[in-house]
Amino acid sequence: MSKNRPIKFRILELFLNGKESWNYEIVSKIQEEYGMKSNFQRDSINFDIIELASGGMLKDVEQKVDDNGIYKKGFLLHKYMITDFGRVRSSDACLRSV
Amino acid sequence: MDLKALKKQESKRKISKGYMWAFFCAIFWGIWYLPGTVVWVLNPFDEMSSAIAKTSGDGISLVVTAVLITAFNALAVMLALMIWNGVLGKYGELIRTLKEFHPCSKWFFLASIFGGPMAILGSFIAMGFIGGAFSAVAGLLYPVVGSILAYYWYGEKISKRAAIGIAVIVLGGISIYGGGLLNELSSGNVPWIGYLGGLMAAAGWGIEGAIAGKGLDIAEPDAGLTLRFLGENIIWWIIIVPVLALVGFPMYSFALKAFEPLTLLILIFAGITFGFCYVTWYKSFPLIGVGRGQGIGNLYGLCAIIFIFLFFGTAPDWTIIIGGALCIAGSFIMFTEDASELETLRGE
Repeated sequence: MSKNRPIKFRILELFLNGKESWNYEIVSKIQEEYGMKSNFQRDSINFDIIELASGGMLKDVEQKVDDNGIYKKGFLLHKYMITDFGRVRSSDACLRSV
Repeated sequence: MDLKALKKQESKRKISKGYMWAFFCAIFWGIWYLPGTVVWVLNPFDEMSSAIAKTSGDGISLVVTAVLITAFNALAVMLALMIWNGVLGKYGELIRTLKEFHPCSKWFFLASIFGGPMAILGSFIAMGFIGGAFSAVAGLLYPVVGSILAYYWYGEKISKRAAIGIAVIVLGGISIYGGGLLNELSSGNVPWIGYLGGLMAAAGWGIEGAIAGKGLDIAEPDAGLTLRFLGENIIWWIIIVPVLALVGFPMYSFALKAFEPLTLLILIFAGITFGFCYVTWYKSFPLIGVGRGQGIGNLYGLCAIIFIFLFFGTAPDWTIIIGGALCIAGSFIMFTEDASELETLRGE
């Protein structure tokens, strides 16, 4: 799938392999794919992940302190995985490999 | 700083930000009833309702005028949201979301049917026939409709706590509707259409919320809300206004007269307050939960009564105040969740 679909669709798709991913990994992948370079856009993608998690489609499985400034120095990094509900919603959204 | 302290700090930051958004929503939503009430006495809407009243009677003239006012409200909200999306640089996402009609944007268009011709038109009718305070407080009944719908549609369980909340809100509703009605029944002059407008607002917003949620799950709210108002503009300007014009109402001649400075100013004011009450409402949900977001957002009823009192000097009947207080108390009972449930809003 290309960058022609809404960002949240793409984020869910990235999680469909069932693996856990850190928020900064997903954010930088989306930034690259959609050509979103600014810090504001970076935070907006991260907020999309938070929204998906609060909607029950992703689960926050692990946290660590960002000591090295991978994303934002001194803040928390979150690791997520997709939930069953997230898979159901992904299939509603016609994502591949559900 | 260690992990535990940082987690606590992050959750505190999230919650205070969420409450701030929800509180802004209540303020914007409450303020909206000011331009919403004022616009009725401005031209061309004032002239329009008296012109149509001569040929078709008072009731029809007020409803047709309410249609044109609601259509302009939708246009103003759309304008405010387009500027908002432009500032955020989200036109790309807007188009991507629009293209996903089947999985996503169809829900926004469906929601706009209930949000626009039902809830917002109903609110304007209630403002025109009865008054701003009644209209605001009558809308507070929407969580009852929303949760009953969710029960039958998605099989969502209604907890004991939620049931108590619903009962308190219904009591409030009886007070809001019953108080004025008793007076009017004795005087023999009941503005039934105004009460119907209040019910339309409550039912429409309840249904809209349940439907829009399906699309907003997987879309960015800024883009989703704009599409919801795009849908509403299509309904008004492409379907209902032309149909009313065909039937013979002078829709276009009065619509063209709306470009007067004061009328435009008030409409823009309505668009900004209403547009941003939706935006801030949705921003609060991921941070504090849908329940708390709606609970705080419902303070709009109180805000509206205060603003109407400050700006127009009209104090509502005590039955409306008591009813409003019960509705707000009920929505807090209904929506107060345990803090541990805050991280995820839905069961898996």
